Amino acid sequence: MAAELLRESFEIQGRNYDKAGEVSGEIKVILRDLGIEAASLRRLVIVAFEAEMNVVMYARRGTLTLILTEEDVNLEVRDEGPGIPDIELAFKEGYSTASDEMRELGFGFGMGLPNMKKNSDELKVESEVGKGTLVVAKIRLNSNA
Amino acid sequence: MRELKHGFKIDADKCNGRMNCMRACPTHSIRVKNGKARLIPELCIDCGSCLGVCPTGAISATTITFAELDRFKFKVAVASPALFTQFGMKDTPAQVGLALLDLGFDAVWEYAVDIELIDRAIMDCVKTWPGPFPLISNSCPVIVRLIQVAYPSMVEQLIPVEAPREIAGRELKRRYSQELGLKPEEIAAIYITPCQAKTISILQPAEEAKSYLDGAVGISQVYNDILSKMRRITSIGDTPKGLMSSGELLHWGPPEGEFPKLSREHYLPLTGLTDVIKVFDDIEKGKIRNIEFLECHACQGGCIGGNLTVENLYVARSKNLHLRANMPKPGSSFEKEVERRYAVEDFSLRGSVKPRRIEGEVVDLRERVTRRKRADELSRALPLLNCGLCGAPTCKNHAEDVAAGRAEIGDCVFLSLHRIDILRTFYKK
Repeated sequence: MAAELLRESFEIQGRNYDKAGEVSGEIKVILRDLGIEAASLRRLVIVAFEAEMNVVMYARRGTLTLILTEEDVNLEVRDEGPGIPDIELAFKEGYSTASDEMRELGFGFGMGLPNMKKNSDELKVESEVGKGTLVVAKIRLNSNA
Repeated sequence: MRELKHGFKIDADKCNGRMNCMRACPTHSIRVKNGKARLIPELCIDCGSCLGVCPTGAISATTITFAELDRFKFKVAVASPALFTQFGMKDTPAQVGLALLDLGFDAVWEYAVDIELIDRAIMDCVKTWPGPFPLISNSCPVIVRLIQVAYPSMVEQLIPVEAPREIAGRELKRRYSQELGLKPEEIAAIYITPCQAKTISILQPAEEAKSYLDGAVGISQVYNDILSKMRRITSIGDTPKGLMSSGELLHWGPPEGEFPKLSREHYLPLTGLTDVIKVFDDIEKGKIRNIEFLECHACQGGCIGGNLTVENLYVARSKNLHLRANMPKPGSSFEKEVERRYAVEDFSLRGSVKPRRIEGEVVDLRERVTRRKRADELSRALPLLNCGLCGAPTCKNHAEDVAAGRAEIGDCVFLSLHRIDILRTFYKK
């Protein structure tokens, strides 16, 4: 793995729809100001937002850690939530365990994990029911221009 | 990289360093050093927020003067629909058109046709667009530049269709060069503009093509002349046939949106930079899912609220509604002309809009990260009051400037008291 240039962690509050999206917003500003090229930035922000929303919707709290190297951006999202019993099923488009309340707010269409997979180069999900979930996404940078 | 031009200039002699412009700038592109304001060109999006707030009038829009137009043999005015909302309830667009002729223009272009054509081209583009959504309108040059600077990942969502003013410029040059036997470059296409941003989109289009227009004249620049000439035109019988006779023109620019035919569920009209930024933040995260098209204007209230307009936005809006309610529906010749041109003309954008390279990107990623960390450390020593006395709009900006080697940390009065004495020399009465 290429040398780590930057590592920053952000707290995500579960069930707080009012603040939902602020962490991915912050990450976007950091990476935009660092001049990460547009295509990678676009994918990154989508992955970060979906990950953040999963924590907000299902967990008590979570942490998103941004790790930047010269070759890629890694997002590690760790939460204290219910865990995912069947990870394979969770990756199916349209599969969702969202409540009506979440759907009312425009979330929970079962596109979260599929969207994250589509927009990252590597995606790992580890989960323990009753304890929590760890999602690790890697997005390669196209160039260091 | 080509030099970035902007639609206004700062007159250093008139500048008293009062910092109103620096505080008003939404992209933090102004610094005030040694009592004088200066611009970081890469960050400026030409919104014009700085123009109206300067207490000494040191910032002025770059528009053209009538003397500059003498080199053309035939001068055609393309009037922004906002122009017609600037006068009294009884003043008609036809009278305004006549006053423009009286002012020295050889013709006033029937702009409504071009607007209708672009309306159609945009609706067709939205229908066939494969994504990503939403598409974003590009007729406001500030919106295009905001995306280039602050939302680089959204450049491909800018709708690849020309602005109607460009299509007007192209067609009027074609038509008059044919009718009058002139070369296209002997014909001037001049936009009567509600804001200075249109000037820059003519001088240096973001899509890196050449504009079909030759310059812009601000509404406030010709307002008094039009007013006095218009009042002298008593007999409306003088109106050349067809001049500004239909209300179609006025759908373009009002705050409730320019596309009444698009479905309200999938189309959002937005005005005002603050609101646009809020929605763009949500789009970037993929939070807005069902919207196909966003019509965005940097000015509150759309183009009739432009910074080179004269009339108060709300009065202008009422005039716009009045005109639309009372002007006749376009005749069959209008429809025929739209059909004819739509079949033969290409409205797709020439060139493409790319993210703007910001100064810091000349160094590599490792160095940029180092600078960021350094700026973070530096900002811990700063008071975070954003007083501006260092010459940067926020403490964060100051820390970044220092980290990039553009400023001295000691410019902060909290870190070096003698800085007050230096400032006193610039601001003494």
